[in-house]
Amino acid sequence: MGELSKLTGKNNYFEDFAVGLVIRHARGKTVTPLENVLITNMVMNTAQGHFNEHAMAATPFGTIISYGGVNFSLVLGLACQDCCENALAELGLDNIRLTKSVTHGDTLYAYSEVLETGDADRDDAGIVVFRHYGYNQRDEQVAQVDRRVLLKRKSHWADR
Amino acid sequence: MTSDPRPRATLWPKGRLYEDFHVGQTFDHHWGRTILEGDTTLFTTLTLSFNPLYFNRAYALAHGHPDIVVNPQLVFNVVLGLSVEDCSEIGGPFLGVFDLTYDRPVYPGATLTARSTTTETRISESNPANGIVTWRTEGFNEAGERVVGFRRSNLVRLRNPKRAA
Repeated sequence: MGELSKLTGKNNYFEDFAVGLVIRHARGKTVTPLENVLITNMVMNTAQGHFNEHAMAATPFGTIISYGGVNFSLVLGLACQDCCENALAELGLDNIRLTKSVTHGDTLYAYSEVLETGDADRDDAGIVVFRHYGYNQRDEQVAQVDRRVLLKRKSHWADR
Repeated sequence: MTSDPRPRATLWPKGRLYEDFHVGQTFDHHWGRTILEGDTTLFTTLTLSFNPLYFNRAYALAHGHPDIVVNPQLVFNVVLGLSVEDCSEIGGPFLGVFDLTYDRPVYPGATLTARSTTTETRISESNPANGIVTWRTEGFNEAGERVVGFRRSNLVRLRNPKRAA
């Protein structure tokens, strides 16, 4: 084991992912103002439905709605260690769907499915496409997103 | 004595509604934003994005990068965030993002700007008080190189739903 490989997982290199594998990720995370309001404001999203409790009290929602970009970023984050800890790069996203609103206090959980695996334009890595699913504490799906990543091959990186 | 300013105030409104969009219009979005090391580290840790490229500089350097790699989801969210006032501040919820590519790594200190083009407008079949508007949005670094591009759709409220229906 080398200086780099000892910092990351041993069982989540390119070779470890086969089409059809479905992973239930171990951790959930509760959405609080720390995630929603901080990130919404940090990224300059000016839609006050994500940070004005008084204005949202007068709407059918009745309360602040978490920004969808935060919701799916959390789902991608909850799936990151298992799926992307050994990634050299995240190449892209697709089919992002936000199917249910999320409010402060909701807890998100993530599942991932391997949709595709294939060669990359370099020998030391391959490409995997994951579909990540996010659910709330009531088992309602809140988000879905496909992510294409360039993952290290164990054959080239496990000893580095 | 100062009088109450509120009766004399004029609202300076923000945002656009469905009738304000037409295919082919382009928006050079406001502000731009320099991504600082603290931004990406905080975003990465709050979202539990545990790949050391995003928070371990020595690890990133050993992989050929000049610095920590900015979390690509932060790049996306900043570019989308800069587009919100022009595209989606008051209209309705964010429906989806498609065909997103991360074109090149972003490092702390980079200044991002955003630009969008309206690519589709249509009335919602299930909810004719609303339309669905789609934009192609791109984010650029200070050298003008594209760092992210995507297509996104929002539900957008009609200003005059009866007339349009």
